[in-house]
Amino acid sequence: MDVALRALNRFGLGARRGERQRISDPRGWLKAQLDGGVPSLRAGDIPSPGAIGDAVRGLRMPGQRDEQERREARRHLVELSTGEARTALEARISSDRPFVERLVAFWSNHLCVSSGSKILVAPLAGSYERDVIRPHVLGRFEDMVLASAKHPAMLAYLDNFQSIGPSSPGARIGQRNNGAKRGLNENYARELLELHTLGVNGGYSQTDVQELARVLTGWTIDGIGGPGARAPQGNQPRRGNGANGRARPEPGSAIGFTFREALHEPGTKTVLTERYKEDGLAEGEDAIRALCRHPSTAKFVATKLATHFISDDPPAAAIDRLARAFRSSDGDLKIVARTLIEEPDAWREDARKFRTPQDWFIAVMRAFGANEVNPNAPVVLRQLRQPLWSPPSPKGFGDAMQEWADPDSLLNRGELARTISRQPAVAAVDPRSLLDVVDVPTGNPLHSLIADASIPAPERVALAIAGPAFQWR
Amino acid sequence: MTMDRREFVRNMCYGGIATFAAPRISFAQVAQSGRLVFVLLRGGFDGLAAVVPYGDPEYAALRGAFAFKESELTPLDDTFGLAPGLSPLRVMWDSNELAVIHAMAIPHRTRSHFDGQAILETGLDHPAGSSDGWLNRLLQVMSGRRTGIAIAAGMPLSLSGPFQVESWSPTQLGAVDDAFLERLAVLYRADAALHNRFEAALQQQELVGEEPMARGNARRGGITPLMQAAARILRQDQGPNIAAMEFSGWDTHANQGMAGGALDRLLGQLAEGLVAFRTAMGPAWQTTTVVVMTEFGRTARPNGTRGTDHGTAGAGFVLGPRITRAKVISDWPGVGQNALYEGRDLKPTLDTRAVLKAALSGTFDLTAAQLDRVFPNSSAVRASSGLMV
Repeated sequence: MDVALRALNRFGLGARRGERQRISDPRGWLKAQLDGGVPSLRAGDIPSPGAIGDAVRGLRMPGQRDEQERREARRHLVELSTGEARTALEARISSDRPFVERLVAFWSNHLCVSSGSKILVAPLAGSYERDVIRPHVLGRFEDMVLASAKHPAMLAYLDNFQSIGPSSPGARIGQRNNGAKRGLNENYARELLELHTLGVNGGYSQTDVQELARVLTGWTIDGIGGPGARAPQGNQPRRGNGANGRARPEPGSAIGFTFREALHEPGTKTVLTERYKEDGLAEGEDAIRALCRHPSTAKFVATKLATHFISDDPPAAAIDRLARAFRSSDGDLKIVARTLIEEPDAWREDARKFRTPQDWFIAVMRAFGANEVNPNAPVVLRQLRQPLWSPPSPKGFGDAMQEWADPDSLLNRGELARTISRQPAVAAVDPRSLLDVVDVPTGNPLHSLIADASIPAPERVALAIAGPAFQWR
Repeated sequence: MTMDRREFVRNMCYGGIATFAAPRISFAQVAQSGRLVFVLLRGGFDGLAAVVPYGDPEYAALRGAFAFKESELTPLDDTFGLAPGLSPLRVMWDSNELAVIHAMAIPHRTRSHFDGQAILETGLDHPAGSSDGWLNRLLQVMSGRRTGIAIAAGMPLSLSGPFQVESWSPTQLGAVDDAFLERLAVLYRADAALHNRFEAALQQQELVGEEPMARGNARRGGITPLMQAAARILRQDQGPNIAAMEFSGWDTHANQGMAGGALDRLLGQLAEGLVAFRTAMGPAWQTTTVVVMTEFGRTARPNGTRGTDHGTAGAGFVLGPRITRAKVISDWPGVGQNALYEGRDLKPTLDTRAVLKAALSGTFDLTAAQLDRVFPNSSAVRASSGLMV
């Protein structure tokens, strides 16, 4: 096994041609990437908070618009969300610190939001990865989870923005206005326990879910109107309220997190035997920090990391080492990342990870030396069954071979490889140079096929990226 | 150099190069004429909004503003009616090809999607870290002709396991020629972990490649086109006879709506898809059984966001000419406050495994011992009587 290639493909996002020769100390190369903060995105590609706000509001009030306004809102949404997806993909494809970008992708999937089941998430997902995930991938886990809990994308995705304390003043007002009972929605509280922190066997009960949901009532989205929007306050035009009590924010205004006391369930709550006295917003912040420090969380997160960086069935000793690093550092993700680099099992020759579709596509682009992607890239990822920011459930995408290496998917990669290899931009790629990015033993048929001049060059390029060697990292 | 694709695939699969041929070789002591399609509705679909207990005296109060009126429903009997979206299923009800199951749940109490789906798909009575899917275990234990296929984006857990299965879904990624596939197959043969899978892909390509619904022509999305494609695969005489399909979007926490609303439209797609499948199967429908299940039902009462939260028991369907007759199978627990499970969910009175065992034994030639191997620790769970011929 070529150790530099392992660093580039396993920890990074795929080798570029000529890159392995420049890496004399693979572990040092990876560690150096952890210094200097998280790379920022190109400022020019980032939509303004007001544009994001408009796109969200365009989805919230379709009934109040005429056909042309609706079309315009739709166009704005598609443009914004595909632009965000391209920016994120290009960061992964062009990065010189690909280990950090892999960590961004990993944590973004761990705390995923999905526009697949909630269209409201579509204009927010780019901002979510940029503002919640990126700033914290080398910081503290609990800061990341807290940022996630307060981002409109997560508040919308798992319904917490609509959750109302059943004994709160807001619930009573709602009942009086339209007769329908408003109340608790436990979706986010459940997934926070099950998927973000303790894990499904982490030792919590249905009562804990409900209590946590009560703790988190009042955590909602500002700037979209809807339940709990502030009561009329004089004649300020920005809060001009309709008859149903919904505020109508100004076009061009940002949306964000707000805590609405009026929707918050009053009283003491108990989560995992810890009592939380009535303390408004601070209750939820304390509870989330406590969940992040729970020993089950260290074990759960360590297992997921080991599965991603070592193998589908990682050794228990490796999980223990990662969990210890997580616990003893209070969830310092930079220290955890360094522990991963030092993890001997991640460098074992026989430990292979099958590339997910996103991994594969990004590795292909990197192998070609691309720095930007075709506008169709988000669509292609959807056709490969792994659209960016649209996993089928809050669990996020899996990364085990069993999930992705089904027969149809292998054929899909062959089909896409053939399509990509016909593009003019790829015509300049010398097929033989692609042997530089895959680990193939002497005698593997790839050597002779790649060198076979009787096969057209684009077809040989396609064989290199569709062949089995390129499917592993 | 270029070989006819049919000949090429035949060489690959039957010519001794590949080891994949096993499932296609008939051992022939048991003739398996049946076909089984397991449709998983991921997300937990609201059984009370789909198969409505309008005749239950407590129902209207329970659902309040979200209760259907009898006039909106397709009545099945004095107690139950199909929601407006499911009205296309009436044709199957009238032809005695639809059994409706209610108050059914997986054998372990959980309100987690992931545990719930894992239990339903593994056929176990508890959530396990990893296990084979029960359809894969079925393939392992049954004798005679058997080939499994996932007609889904990705491999469902229910079909995962050591018994090699096929997969198919429509694609728009581009066409490939035989010479390319042949060279790619040479590469895959050098990879011990992947070569069987790739050759299975070529075999499936061969099966549907000449159909109108060829890979490149199909559009993703929508239940009906996928059900029709599934029929083109499953109606073949020597094609796959055990299929897993899945549809998501049933996790209706908010604004699930009434007639014409979000959930009802989805139910409409499901019903139309099932009817389209029956039509497209042609004569092969006579030997086919379709089972539709979900990981859990939803809360009996609506929540504060005009939806429903994760609950316990729910509804399902068994369709096909091999059921005894149109009927609702349910030991109905009622929906009064004291009848609810933990005061909030429809109470389970029927184990999903009892229904699956009945559907399996009515579709395939299987012994009771084989069924108990498909569903471990289930010997106390008897197949639902009166469901299948």
